[in-house]
Amino acid sequence: MIGLLKSEVLKIRSTQVWIWMLALAVALSTLFTIGASVDAVSDYRHGRDVDYYSLFTASTQVFFALMVLGVLGLTTEFRHKTITPTLLATPNRWQLLGGKAAAYGIFSIIYSIVCLVASFATAIIWLTATNVPLHFGDGVPGGVVKVFVTQVLFGIFGLGLGALIRNQAAAMVFSIVYLAVLNFLLAGIPWVRKFWMFEPGGAAQGFVSHGTITGLSDDTHLLNPTQSLGVLIFWCVLLLVLGGWLSLRRDIS
Amino acid sequence: MSSTEQPTHTANHAGTATGDGRIVIEHLTKVFGTQRAVDDLSFTVEPGSVTGFLGPNGAGKTTTLRMLLGLVAPTSGIATVNGVRYAQLRRPIQTVGAALEASSFHPAHTGLQHLRIYCAAAGLPSSRASEVLDLVGLSNAGKKKTKGYSMGMRQRLGLAATLLGDPKVLILDEPANGLDPEGIRWLRGFFRHLASEGRTVLVSSHQLAEVQAVADRAVILNQGRLVRAGTIEELSAGTSTAVVRGPDLRPLQQALASAGMQGTTETDGSLRVRADELTQIGHLAFANNVELHELSLEEFDLEQLFFTLTEGAHRGASFESPETAQYGAIQTQGGPR
Repeated sequence: MIGLLKSEVLKIRSTQVWIWMLALAVALSTLFTIGASVDAVSDYRHGRDVDYYSLFTASTQVFFALMVLGVLGLTTEFRHKTITPTLLATPNRWQLLGGKAAAYGIFSIIYSIVCLVASFATAIIWLTATNVPLHFGDGVPGGVVKVFVTQVLFGIFGLGLGALIRNQAAAMVFSIVYLAVLNFLLAGIPWVRKFWMFEPGGAAQGFVSHGTITGLSDDTHLLNPTQSLGVLIFWCVLLLVLGGWLSLRRDIS
Repeated sequence: MSSTEQPTHTANHAGTATGDGRIVIEHLTKVFGTQRAVDDLSFTVEPGSVTGFLGPNGAGKTTTLRMLLGLVAPTSGIATVNGVRYAQLRRPIQTVGAALEASSFHPAHTGLQHLRIYCAAAGLPSSRASEVLDLVGLSNAGKKKTKGYSMGMRQRLGLAATLLGDPKVLILDEPANGLDPEGIRWLRGFFRHLASEGRTVLVSSHQLAEVQAVADRAVILNQGRLVRAGTIEELSAGTSTAVVRGPDLRPLQQALASAGMQGTTETDGSLRVRADELTQIGHLAFANNVELHELSLEEFDLEQLFFTLTEGAHRGASFESPETAQYGAIQTQGGPR
């Protein structure tokens, strides 16, 4: 298993995709934090309470970059037909999926830590420069841990999605459409939005959010953080198992 | 494959084989939709032999090899190496080296990176990657990205990957595809090198002359079914052909038919007579006062056997006698169904 993990890490490191994705994730993380910092400064100057929790968890949305990286994990193997030598070296397909999940988990952890550091640095510099006091209470440490866990889980979620949809283009289009369109539609369509809490995007919101979420209708509810984490983990496991069961069991021809 | 086999040969028992490199295919069948790509195929590749796996396009060679390597699930039957399925091998890369296609590389990886990835997966030192690149003559291109590799270089890189674990069994699918004459010449030497090391090699190839030069055995497939398998000696037994040319060979044709010798008339007027030696034909020509411009013996040619078995093509009009008609039919139809 150690060999397999080394092999998978080497695969990721051997191309430039990971570094570009990291650069994108850091850039977005910084951008989201700047937006939240501007709001924080405005709130402070108008005498309103500064939402430090939202400020320091602003990089949550970067999870989509980790999801995309995860999607590439298996779809790249099928696209370039390297799945053949990969399976010759590791014929047990469940073992292979486990090795990939571990490797992408490790990269997701690294990505998440780097993004959080970038986010924190941006917020601290911005608030200090604008003479807004820094405050790390209001559940900020717990929120940061939740952001970290969410991002890592979405990396593995992406891997499962890639196992399920082997075609790289189709998997990428689905990921983007889901994150940019479907996720918001599901949160907005009457009756359907009652179930948004059970959908990965809704579960992520339920896990990370702190208090009332703005922009949602009255009948859109979120599960509590523990339940939301359970739903998120359920989706990751479901996609990995379904992907392993349906996709990896297929003939490699 | 101890004797020339017909499709109804005896199956071997995979469970009794040991870690000696024996490949056993038993009643292997693969159905894609309504098409039977491989149909009740059984044969054995003996340890330490080089076996040519031959058949026209679509004969089921690649599907068979993929089933053997656990990449394609058989509809029925079993394929084993060392008595176990590939997926159950404890150290697959150290047991079997397989090259199935010349394009299984990430274009952004260098040749060295590609090999190091599989070294890591197999628990081999990364220095092994450089060693095998050297073996296939690619050491100078190891740091070049595979997207810049020619087809010949890709084939060599694929072959290098097969050698990573120094396996006793090698399975190569069309390794000569896309190679230029220099590459084919290199491949011939590579085959000889593998054979000299006593490895079990199963190679599917269209380069029949190359296979014949190095193979001990051949398995010939057509439309998913085994049409002939055996050692090259067994396959060549009784297949030598005498070529006879002359201005008027009709008296000789009659004499040969009366003597029970089978043959065909070619479109250029020459005769091809199945014979292991020329004495009797020469005597009949002399006795019948037939002028000859050529009387030569054509030795066994795997390519000719291949085309005969897989296409059932007749060469010109037959003049065989009733006694030899059955023999001729077997040779051209590729064995019983």
